[in-house]
Amino acid sequence: MEFKLEAHRIVSISLGKIYNSRGQRGGIKLHKNLLVSLVLRSARQVYLSDPCPGLYLAGSPVPPPQPGEPAAGPPAGWGEPPPPAARAAWPEPETPPERPAGPDARRAVDAEPAAPGAGDTLQGGEAAATAEAAWRRAEVPRAAAAGGAGDPAGGADVCPEGPRAAHRPCACPPGGEAGPGALSCAPRPAKDERPVPPPGCPRKRGAAAGDGPADCPAPGSSPLKKPRRHPEEPAGGAAADEEEMETGNVANLISIFGSSFSGLLRKSPAGGREEAEAEESGPEAAEPGQICCDQPVLRDINPWSTAIVAF
Amino acid sequence: MAGAGGGGCPAGGNDLQWCFSQVKGAIDEDVAEADIISTVEFNYSGDLLATGDKGGRVVIFQREQENKSRPHSRGEYNVYSTFQSHEPEFDYLKSLEIEEKINKIRWLPQQNAAHFLLSTNDKTIKLWKISERDKRAEGYNLKDEDGRLRDPFRITALRVPVLKPMDLMVEASPRRVFANAHTYHVNSISVNSDHETYLSADDLRINLWHLEITDRSFNIVDIKPANMEELTEVITAAEFHPHQCNVFVYSSSKGTIRLCDMRSSALCDRHSKFFEEPEDPSSRSFFSEIISSISDVKFSHSGRYMMTRDYLSVKVWDLNMESRPVETHQVHEYLRSKLCSLYENDCIFDKFECCWNGSDSAVMTGSYNNFFRMFDRNARRDVTLEASRENSKPRASLKPRKVCTGGKRKKDEISVDSLDFNKKILHTAWHPTENIIAVAATNNLYIFQDKIN
Repeated sequence: MEFKLEAHRIVSISLGKIYNSRGQRGGIKLHKNLLVSLVLRSARQVYLSDPCPGLYLAGSPVPPPQPGEPAAGPPAGWGEPPPPAARAAWPEPETPPERPAGPDARRAVDAEPAAPGAGDTLQGGEAAATAEAAWRRAEVPRAAAAGGAGDPAGGADVCPEGPRAAHRPCACPPGGEAGPGALSCAPRPAKDERPVPPPGCPRKRGAAAGDGPADCPAPGSSPLKKPRRHPEEPAGGAAADEEEMETGNVANLISIFGSSFSGLLRKSPAGGREEAEAEESGPEAAEPGQICCDQPVLRDINPWSTAIVAF
Repeated sequence: MAGAGGGGCPAGGNDLQWCFSQVKGAIDEDVAEADIISTVEFNYSGDLLATGDKGGRVVIFQREQENKSRPHSRGEYNVYSTFQSHEPEFDYLKSLEIEEKINKIRWLPQQNAAHFLLSTNDKTIKLWKISERDKRAEGYNLKDEDGRLRDPFRITALRVPVLKPMDLMVEASPRRVFANAHTYHVNSISVNSDHETYLSADDLRINLWHLEITDRSFNIVDIKPANMEELTEVITAAEFHPHQCNVFVYSSSKGTIRLCDMRSSALCDRHSKFFEEPEDPSSRSFFSEIISSISDVKFSHSGRYMMTRDYLSVKVWDLNMESRPVETHQVHEYLRSKLCSLYENDCIFDKFECCWNGSDSAVMTGSYNNFFRMFDRNARRDVTLEASRENSKPRASLKPRKVCTGGKRKKDEISVDSLDFNKKILHTAWHPTENIIAVAATNNLYIFQDKIN
């Protein structure tokens, strides 16, 4: 569990770095952001590969714990609900918008105070041994982790459309509240979390997808958010506030980074591609087809992918 | 090893007693960002020492002639010329600001009385001519001594201007501007041994220039993938071989070095040699890829070896053996357990440089807390020294420092947690023939010399 939290924390920090890099003098540094994306990928692998039964314990409307990551539906973040074929890969029926497993799992971790250590501030230190173990575990095909899919809470409430959510009230309250501990380690990335809009949103997200980089939504971009697909999930006032605050930040993040970074999505467990894009790369339109891959668990990358996106 | 380097140079490293010589720069605790030194380079003779800073300025120090009355005191370096090399620019097309920070300075071999150097920021390389003027002409006909034009009709007689001595003035003038050839950030420049061409490398491409021609360059390496999403590595440093004008190397963010021969093809995407050390699986972590990224590559003076610097170590490679380095020197292995914190505070992305001494018997690189490390390759010893104002008494010997990695901290040791990670030594330079080193500590330049035992 420790290394999972560590991975989660590293993911948050990495996202924050990418976000901050946008405003640096001299333009975005390709080398540094490539390295950050590598760390992100590694952390994600560790996070996903570790089946941790305690993930969805306790806490508020949390779905029953699932072994491994919930296999979220195809990332809605790219604007279009994933093609049915992709969805068929999931053991459980999913309704769009679906939340990628990764963020959901993380979110669940964050949201669960009862989970061992989950509610606490993430351990800052290195858990070398555990991290190494997690590392090796990451090599296990993620399909195993993905098998535990069907977490009903699969991020329906995570709003892939960062910018959109910012500008229109999202009807879907954030599912599962982030334990403060989960967010405290990296305030900036935490703010980037976004709730998934209810199924009604996809249409708008779809529209957004075609708008080009600036408007590209980040599918399930909120790794810290609990996977919630139930629109009626009581968000709680605080949660809603937090949501909006984070929404604003993520909206900026999304608009800044635009589209394309689907390399992370397409990355297979065996070998991956790092994504980084230099200034001259044109915006790559988010194609749902590209995002959906055979490995359902890879979809959880969406939150990262859009966030990490193009330079 | 063949002593092709600065002949007569005593072995570097621990046999010597390093002493403080000079420090340049403000003492002020509040360091202006623009004053942070970003590159340090001796010229071929070692008489000139150039520094570039984040503000786009170049300061050149010249070594004074040795004082005959005090034969044991070496010449000091004093300011010779200061000029603004690069200014901040704005790329309107991409809405990007181009930093004026000087990324690299490389001297050209001296061919006449003037000195030439190349300086580069992220996008533009400039060739500067530094020349002395100690005479000026007096007695012009068409203008008087103040420079005002005289009325031609008032001139009744002609005279020949004469040259009169004047106070020495050092002028720096830009002779060539090599612009618009790099889409990504330039990280390296390297002058070829033919003294006519040089290369410039950015994250994804390497261009070959002729010093006389500014409106075009040859692209000799291009690792940009057709689909940027498939990008896995970038170029981090590049250098020409010191003697073979057709050979150059470039290092990557994946910890690999490629040696290319320009005779084999016009586009050197395919390497002639590929240097990579297999990763140790037991030390794998989230940050393995970051710390394996090579931040600097330098050929030895002999041309037989090259040295690479990654985050935690310095490796010496024999050009004839691609499978692994012949030497690995740990710079600050105690940081391996702190990588997560170093990732958080961005220190893990620091790009340390490294350098050889004149005889290739020692290498030097920087660390944190204003520490720098020297490795004597022959004696297989290393030493940690510190550049600090406290040790700045004239000719004061530098005391070796030690970092305590755990357990009881001995007297004079410093614990890892006490290290100041804001005081980092990224840039160091070693005189080409003598044991004089220049160490850049943020905004200060320290010069150390060996004491003749």
